[in-house]
Amino acid sequence: MNHTRSVPTRVVSAVLALLIAVAALFPLAWMAISGFKGKTEVLRSPFQFFPDVWQLQNYTDILHDPAFVRAMTITFLGALVFTVLSLAVNSCAAYAFARLDFGLKGLWWVFCIMPMFVPMTAILLTSFVVVTKLGMLDTLAVLIIPGLASSAQMFFLGQFYLNIPLAVEEAALIDGASRWQIFVRIFLPQSQGPFVVVGIGSFLAYWNAYVWPILVIQNPDLTQIMQYLGSFRSDRGNEWGLLMAGSTLAALPTVVLVLIFQRYIVNGVRISGMK
Amino acid sequence: MSATDTTPVTLPTAAPAVPPPAGRARRRGAKDPKQTTARHLRSNRTAYLMIAPMVILLAIFVIWPLGYAFYLSLFEISFYQDAKFVGLQFYTYVLTDPSFWHSLGVGLRYALMVVPTILVLALLLASFIKTLSKRAAAIMKTTIYVPAVVSSVLTSVIFLFIYQDEGVANWFVGLVHARPIAWLNTDATALPSIAVPGVWLGFGVSTLIMLAGILDIPESYYESALLDGANFRQRTWYITIPGLKNVLLYLLVTGFTLALQEFQLPLIMTGGGPVDATNTPNLYIFNSFRDATPFATSYSLTASLLLFLVLGAISLVIFRAVSSQKSADS
Repeated sequence: MNHTRSVPTRVVSAVLALLIAVAALFPLAWMAISGFKGKTEVLRSPFQFFPDVWQLQNYTDILHDPAFVRAMTITFLGALVFTVLSLAVNSCAAYAFARLDFGLKGLWWVFCIMPMFVPMTAILLTSFVVVTKLGMLDTLAVLIIPGLASSAQMFFLGQFYLNIPLAVEEAALIDGASRWQIFVRIFLPQSQGPFVVVGIGSFLAYWNAYVWPILVIQNPDLTQIMQYLGSFRSDRGNEWGLLMAGSTLAALPTVVLVLIFQRYIVNGVRISGMK
Repeated sequence: MSATDTTPVTLPTAAPAVPPPAGRARRRGAKDPKQTTARHLRSNRTAYLMIAPMVILLAIFVIWPLGYAFYLSLFEISFYQDAKFVGLQFYTYVLTDPSFWHSLGVGLRYALMVVPTILVLALLLASFIKTLSKRAAAIMKTTIYVPAVVSSVLTSVIFLFIYQDEGVANWFVGLVHARPIAWLNTDATALPSIAVPGVWLGFGVSTLIMLAGILDIPESYYESALLDGANFRQRTWYITIPGLKNVLLYLLVTGFTLALQEFQLPLIMTGGGPVDATNTPNLYIFNSFRDATPFATSYSLTASLLLFLVLGAISLVIFRAVSSQKSADS
């Protein structure tokens, strides 16, 4: 279609695309630019879009704040562990439901899929009571473990496994491979795409978590990055330049992740959306 | 809660029952034709091992809290005496509390601002991206997806900054008329000001889903419509929208249930104010839970259960609709 289009249409398209992109990315760009402004410049009337002098001051200052660096590091490590463990838990269950026969399978399926219909906010408060009873408050475990099992991710991976042809698996079974071997050697290598989609989902969920950390974490050594930024204004006052610099750095890992895996994500949205 | 008790028993005690549990031994044994029934049993055991972490985690961190919430909502709990069964008293209390209804009204108004805006925006963007070349479309898809991965906290902080008295929003206002607006401190503008970041966070994913739906509509429909001289509005109205019926329904209902649950944006941006103008249902529940008033726990749990019943019913309907459509396709 496209090569038949006239030059003016293509120019209009390009301009429109540029406008949409600018509008979509404006808040992020504004955040990053404001990080480069000095204290007197960041909120100034008359308004000015770009700083007079681009200063790195805010970025170096926030990187010298041990609380910020610790929050970034501990959240990043937690997110990695969380992603790996949740992939393990959800993909194993997905494989079992997609490929194995076992007693009371239907019942277990209902049990595992039903939580998908429970909104997180409905059980947020009693989850807090439960982890308190389990003595998990103020530990890394309380940040990682409660969210590992995800019915939605299990369902998504299961749909993918159902589409893998049976023939290869049967051949492997005849050759004497165990179910675990089949799962590890045949299914996992083919799961790259869905694993990326689901894994990024887990990583983002952990990295962006705010409400759960503010409920269960008091210990400043375990403060999560969103918790740090959420309480920044009450802790440090209106140092907007510093806050914008910190926010930019906190947004960086997620944006970079999207850019690296863009192809998987765009296709993944398609699958998880309707198909 | 029984699942919590039974599943751990299945696992460790079942292990010694099968003599060689090690993987290497199993591999050798599998070659023996006599072992077929035994292998079937092992598959049973493998399956239980594979679903066990899932089942146990869900039992502890979803089913237990859920059952516990139902339990607590039926009891009056205070520090001075044992829990007292009060039946459905909390339910009637919540349902007759004007603050609860007010928060539902706020949630509803927020959803009505966010969801239709996202749907219209997504439809226009998806229609536009469809006309682009493959490479340009890929760049656009990634671009509009980026806001979706930014956290609610960061979004709140960015928009708080944008809404400052000397911020960008007031600069735009200054272009047309001089008086700056206290966006988040004015009754009329507070909720719409929170809806804007809500739309910004949500439009990317909706656009991608809608684009996938549009690409599924046979190109021949559009070609014959073009031959008949249909313009963009007519093509959208008579081909795109009917073809997207299921996608639109899905986005409408999921968008609605998600928007009704929103509370992180108002939590950080306004704390529910000014005078409860942005106190969405979950924010109201969250705040009453954090209040140390005597029955705050039971009260807020009851309120969140009532909200859950409504939302759960809605999402169940979507799921049924979507999965029945899939089975019809194949």
